[in-house]
Amino acid sequence: MPIARVLSANRGEIAARVVRAAHALGIEVVQAVSSADRDSRAAQFADRKVVIGPAPSRQSYLDANLLVHTALQTGCDALHPGYGFLSEREHLARLCADHGITFVGPQAETIAALGDKLQAKAIARAAGVPLVPGTERIASAHEATVAAETLGYPVLLKASAGGGGRGMFIARSAAEITASFDKASNEAAEAFGDGTMYMERYVENARHVEVQVFGDGTGKVLHFGERDCSIQRRYQKVFEEAPCAAMPEALRQQLHRCAVDLVASLKYRNAGTVEFLYDVDRAAIYFIEVNARIQVEHPVSEQVTGYDLVQLQFQVAGGEPLRWTQDQIPVLRHAIECRLNAEDPKRNFQPSPGRITGWSPPQGAGIRLDSHCYEGYLVPPFYDSMIGKLIVTAATRAECVTRLQAALADFDVAGLTTNLPLLKFIAAHPDFAANQLNTRWLEQVLLPAFAPIQE
Amino acid sequence: MANSDKPKVTAEDLENLIEIFNQSAWDELHLEADGLEIFLSNDPNALAPRQASGAAASIGTTAQVVAPSSVPATAVSLAGPSGHAPIAEGQVAIRAPNLGTFYRAPKPGAPPYIEIGQQIEIITEVCLIEVMKLFTPVQGNVRGVVRESRARDGQMVEFDDVLIIVEPN
Repeated sequence: MPIARVLSANRGEIAARVVRAAHALGIEVVQAVSSADRDSRAAQFADRKVVIGPAPSRQSYLDANLLVHTALQTGCDALHPGYGFLSEREHLARLCADHGITFVGPQAETIAALGDKLQAKAIARAAGVPLVPGTERIASAHEATVAAETLGYPVLLKASAGGGGRGMFIARSAAEITASFDKASNEAAEAFGDGTMYMERYVENARHVEVQVFGDGTGKVLHFGERDCSIQRRYQKVFEEAPCAAMPEALRQQLHRCAVDLVASLKYRNAGTVEFLYDVDRAAIYFIEVNARIQVEHPVSEQVTGYDLVQLQFQVAGGEPLRWTQDQIPVLRHAIECRLNAEDPKRNFQPSPGRITGWSPPQGAGIRLDSHCYEGYLVPPFYDSMIGKLIVTAATRAECVTRLQAALADFDVAGLTTNLPLLKFIAAHPDFAANQLNTRWLEQVLLPAFAPIQE
Repeated sequence: MANSDKPKVTAEDLENLIEIFNQSAWDELHLEADGLEIFLSNDPNALAPRQASGAAASIGTTAQVVAPSSVPATAVSLAGPSGHAPIAEGQVAIRAPNLGTFYRAPKPGAPPYIEIGQQIEIITEVCLIEVMKLFTPVQGNVRGVVRESRARDGQMVEFDDVLIIVEPN
């Protein structure tokens, strides 16, 4: 049944995006806000806003009972969770289902299965999707050197009970394994009470690629191309683009097939992203995980395919079938997104909330800004520091890079400190223009070069 | 507020203004003249520009005069709560500690927790708030006489909404 009224259960730019998408389809929106977000864009755009709790997320956006109570009391028949917060919690999806509220996302069971890393890997393996090659438990340094010959160096040795890097080391030769194995195993035994080790192939030159998928819940799955999100700082994506220009066409076909097969095996419903590690030197892909929600970087896929993925979320959640075939979703252009954050690159990227006294975003052909900010808006200190996403689109990657540089040069924000200087520096870097980078490039190459010019 | 040696804005002027506003396609009207400030909005949750920053609190009541006529008639109305009225001097508000459904009595048919004119103590339970079948009694946290009940029985209240007005003693 088509959705008539939705509770928008998130904040920031995605809430504003959700309100617009719902309105475009004639769906009414009740916006849940914390007391810190009373004056937010989403609250202004929505048909009604409801203050669900005080500023801290735990007492507002992270309380599933408050959200579902609000949805029921305000006559909503659906709930859109956005990304982050409770978007991938089985509990919220189940609570919605139990109370007759349509959850705009996957089924609760799907969220649970994919949220368990081991289960997700088993699902991938069963669907014929490659994982990072590795071993079962390894008893000795000798056993490790034998296994490493099969995997190929470098290899990564890990404590099976481990975490936080303890008991973990990279080896580039048999000698390095022999030198470190016993020490690492002992360290693991001391830290976790279990010295069991295992081994994985270590991908030195890796890119992060992911496929945007959409399922209708019956087993039909379409993809909307891939995204390259290799520019990351501390596992946080900073730039995302579509398509992955660095990937050979044959590998791209395999990537899409793997992503579709994996989620089709679950009769996946609604939007999702299948993440892979792209081993550039070996021209191979390995499954990482599935994100069972709409993602921050979804706009680049929208820009290159021409589909509105948030509207599609509402349509599919409302029971509409995916009426297209895969060849009706060609990737026609190139798009790059960068995340504007209220943070200070000079002070180790400390969040820098405050009042925006000047807000002058770039405009023009091929320029899109997804943001909830405006002149006079107070960026509250309680949440994520992202204040906008700048997305540029052009026919080719080269034109896109030029357009991005110009757009960033035209972007003026006053009143608080942002990472704009870093975004400009990345966009102007020759490695970026040449697309010669991997997941460690930002931290190992770019930031060391960027730091001195910040003085 | 108005300057005494200038012609005063009459109630009739205000009625005319509200009439003009209601017949227009405007979302909001904000007027400042002769020290008087008027804010009209079709959004029941709208805040007057100055009220948002803490001044001119009484203007908000004007907005509520206008709001009900424009509320869409659906099964569950999209209208928000009507209780943003100011609190008189010498009185304090007991506010909702969280969003939920407000109940005056511990269960249907039972006498309400409190009556108007009743003396309450810090720990007196004044109402019940329910979230997904979890019922939590609310304590007054103030010693005084109950003057007004702002929330309606069985109605959803938002976080920090004014529930009850008390005159402390």
